[in-house]
Amino acid sequence: MAGTDPIHQFNINTFFTFATLGGDGTKGSGVEFAFTNSALFMILAIGLVGGYLIFSTRGRGLVPNRLQLVSELSYEFVANVVRNSAGTEGMRFFPFVFTLFSFLLIGNLFGIMPYFFTITSHVIICVALALLVMTIVIAYGFMRNGLGFLKLFVPSGIPGPILIIVVPIEILSFISRPLSLSLRLFGNMLAGHIVLKVFAGFVVMLSSAGIIGIVGSVLPLGMTVALTALELLVAGLQAFVFTILTCVYLNDAIHPGH
Amino acid sequence: MAKSPQSQRPEPEGPATSSTSDLAERIARAKKGSGAAQAAQSFRQRELTGMGRAFRFASEFVAAIIVGALLGYGIDALLGTKPWAMIVLLLLGFAAGVLNVMRAAADVNAEAAGGTDAGIVPEDDD
Repeated sequence: MAGTDPIHQFNINTFFTFATLGGDGTKGSGVEFAFTNSALFMILAIGLVGGYLIFSTRGRGLVPNRLQLVSELSYEFVANVVRNSAGTEGMRFFPFVFTLFSFLLIGNLFGIMPYFFTITSHVIICVALALLVMTIVIAYGFMRNGLGFLKLFVPSGIPGPILIIVVPIEILSFISRPLSLSLRLFGNMLAGHIVLKVFAGFVVMLSSAGIIGIVGSVLPLGMTVALTALELLVAGLQAFVFTILTCVYLNDAIHPGH
Repeated sequence: MAKSPQSQRPEPEGPATSSTSDLAERIARAKKGSGAAQAAQSFRQRELTGMGRAFRFASEFVAAIIVGALLGYGIDALLGTKPWAMIVLLLLGFAAGVLNVMRAAADVNAEAAGGTDAGIVPEDDD
């Protein structure tokens, strides 16, 4: 039942290998730098976003045409999110946040198309993005506030003895951020695609069981259609949530005392 | 309406006022239309972020506990203090999870109260 295997869609296929670090020359040893289907779809997502933005804004019309309007609306949307969550000073991170949002959105939406690989269904991609966000938060926080950034862990107006308990809790709460950021995105995409594939598999299995099965397979088919719509919602939603939380964390880097 | 500017040429006010009032009316109509569209969009957005908030609360709570447990396990493995660091950090992780959820809920309440300027997000009173 290779056609109905719900995990098969997450397989990483190596197209070609750039270089192998270490190892003893036998297959499977050392660290391989390979061009995989995941890399291909990452490049496709970046290419689509970049290409579309460059193509649609090449006219630079004062009155935008439709293509340019989409670009301007997405700019406005992300700019509003950044301004609302991180203030005007957060706008210096706008290029980063916009790149993150568009990459995640297109990556998630690619996953819904048949035969397309879902980039964000692999935890390493989500963890890498979340750690990138946290690295920027910590680096910028120390750069801008110096050691004052550590005030993030020391809430104001708390008597000394209680700080012994509160500070570790605050530190744990901070460390848990990249985990929750990445696991939410990864979990949603992985679970959604597995469920989708399982229900689609039911259609194939049932319809091979004679005429009654074919009639009965209408039910999982309807479920698959409904789940596809839900997945579309989740794809946009998770990209949005990731973006908004990035802005909230950046706000902490800019204004650490609370 | 299209013909009126030519027929009423002699008097300069007539066509001007009629065309501007027409324009104003059309602008008002378009604004009303986009207002409705905006309301629909904000409704959709609210529904959307409602689901987003649910995921956020759940994952932030769980993540803090997992981080606490893993950190405790790591410290235990390094220092050989099994199982004390894990117990302490698991409890602290639980507290951090509750704190995370409280923070998220405070954000949501601030948004619901109409405080859009989050540069001065009223953090919870800790």
